[in-house]
Amino acid sequence: MNKDPIIWVILKAILFFGFCGLSLWFSSKIVDRFNEKIEPFAYPQRIISLGPALTEQLYLLGVEDRLVGCTVYCKKPKEAESKEKVGTIIEVNLEKVVDLKPDLVLATSLTDPKAKEKLKDLGIKVACFPQAKNFSQMCDHFLGLGRLVGKDKEAKKITNSAKDKVAAIKEKVKNLPKPEVFIQIGAKPLFAATGRSFINDFIEFAGGINMAKEAKEGIYSREEVLKKDPEVIIIVTMGIVGEKEKEIWQSYQTLKAVKKGRIYIVDSYQFCSPTPVSFVEALEEMAGLLHPELYPHQTQ
Amino acid sequence: MNKKIIRWIIWILLLGGTLGGISIFSLCLGSAGIPVKDIIPLIFEGRGTTEYSILFDIRLPRILLGLAIGGALSLAGVILQGMFRNPLVEPYTLGISGGAALGVCLNIVLGLNSRGGILSIPVSGFLGAVMVILLVYSLSMRKGILKIQGLLLTGVMISFISSSLIMFIMAVSRTEDLHGIVFWIMGSLEEPNWFLIKAALLVSLLGMGIAYLFCWDLNALSLGEEDALHLGINTERTKRLLFVLASVLTGCSVSVAGIIGFVGLVVPHFGRMLAGGDHRILLVTAYLAGGAFLVLCDTLARTIISPLELPVGVITGIVGGSLFVYALTKRQVALGGK
Repeated sequence: MNKDPIIWVILKAILFFGFCGLSLWFSSKIVDRFNEKIEPFAYPQRIISLGPALTEQLYLLGVEDRLVGCTVYCKKPKEAESKEKVGTIIEVNLEKVVDLKPDLVLATSLTDPKAKEKLKDLGIKVACFPQAKNFSQMCDHFLGLGRLVGKDKEAKKITNSAKDKVAAIKEKVKNLPKPEVFIQIGAKPLFAATGRSFINDFIEFAGGINMAKEAKEGIYSREEVLKKDPEVIIIVTMGIVGEKEKEIWQSYQTLKAVKKGRIYIVDSYQFCSPTPVSFVEALEEMAGLLHPELYPHQTQ
Repeated sequence: MNKKIIRWIIWILLLGGTLGGISIFSLCLGSAGIPVKDIIPLIFEGRGTTEYSILFDIRLPRILLGLAIGGALSLAGVILQGMFRNPLVEPYTLGISGGAALGVCLNIVLGLNSRGGILSIPVSGFLGAVMVILLVYSLSMRKGILKIQGLLLTGVMISFISSSLIMFIMAVSRTEDLHGIVFWIMGSLEEPNWFLIKAALLVSLLGMGIAYLFCWDLNALSLGEEDALHLGINTERTKRLLFVLASVLTGCSVSVAGIIGFVGLVVPHFGRMLAGGDHRILLVTAYLAGGAFLVLCDTLARTIISPLELPVGVITGIVGGSLFVYALTKRQVALGGK
């Protein structure tokens, strides 16, 4: 190993300063924690939402008149389409946002972190609502949003009624046999809903057993599915991909789900970014799929 | 000789003017729709208004970063193409960007960035780049000689290995991490941190200065190593320093702005078409043209489908590639030709 002193000194210096830099933010970060307080007195009047679910929740809370901008994917409810568009869920057009002079920007965990940082630097309040991991977290987020916009009571009312409805459905399916369910949320690679996603709540509340609950990662092998042989396969996706996946599953004649014809396709929008209200609707649908005897009017 | 100097000065003035023009054009253009006639009064008495903030807190940093990154990448491209005497080498070919991307992916997946704040991503990218530089460098050293061809192959292989590892990380990462990785890999000139923008500018200008000290050596090297040696150049030392310089320029650019392809490949060729392949002028023209090119592409990316933004790499690829193919069909590009 030949050593050229100049090069090694330069490279070592670079490494050294890099590590110095690293240790610097670890110390600076601790200070930031205390500055993020939400002031409960000044309710924001110009809100920009960067997630479809957040937009929907603002409408539920009845503050849609304060919503001045949202993403191009905010299509529910219908009225949201006429709002000013400030980008997609992941790409935010900062100029547009600043131009609308918001006093609150609602971001999700998919929002570009740099954009969030920049907005904070420009003195705009950014509240981030990460993807909920289960139903109770979803309700907490909704209550948090309610507090943020000064609609505590409404938020409580909506979440309580959603919780009651969920409890009623749980009661209904309590004593029924629990089918094994495999929920697929992605194709190529085959992706399953594990215990860490709130889709797991859909299955458990609706009286089923999530086959992939214990899986560490969402990527799942088809062999494993064949071996475990679930009674129901549910494909959460939209349009053509779902139909294709259904055909693939149907080529495995040995599967119980194929023999009984229990492979279903459900709308991803309703299942993947739910509000407490649409969660209940989706849960009803799920319960109907797992226990057709309960909901005889539902046809597939 | 004198004629040559005058021609060069004219080129520099032309490109400098173009760069200035594009920057001003970029400052005036955007989705917020500030009328051009309002901009002058805004600059002098607009402090504190939203429009002022859009111009100077959102558009200006992007322009400055575009200049820095475009210049640095083109410079690295010129150095490497001259050194390797290969028209297809670009800064990313050496695996530096792959290493940086791998560093960033690891950072995101291990959750360091949530603890380490906004600067942790660029630093981890830079450390990843440094690791790859060290690795490529040490693998290409044979008996105290830096094997140029070996360097290139090693770099390409390390690129592949890095991208496979990134695929692997993406396959086993959580959805929200996945987005962070994809964002970063796409590359963007959006950077909230002024310190990083200043650092990028400083590094790229310093790189320009240091590279210029080597313009004669580069001219000699582009004749071939043998000839350079006969001309009295210490080829080994020069090669090493140039390699490190190009790597640091690339590493810094990648760690701040992510991977913006094509700039380092195409701009040096345009520089050669415009003012010839003499490195005394080529370094300057490529630097100016690189800055102008990237700022122009970023402006297009911001405005084409407003309010949506395109990743700037999409535009650099399409615009740069088409222009380049067009230019190639019009005239032969001589590499390092006089």
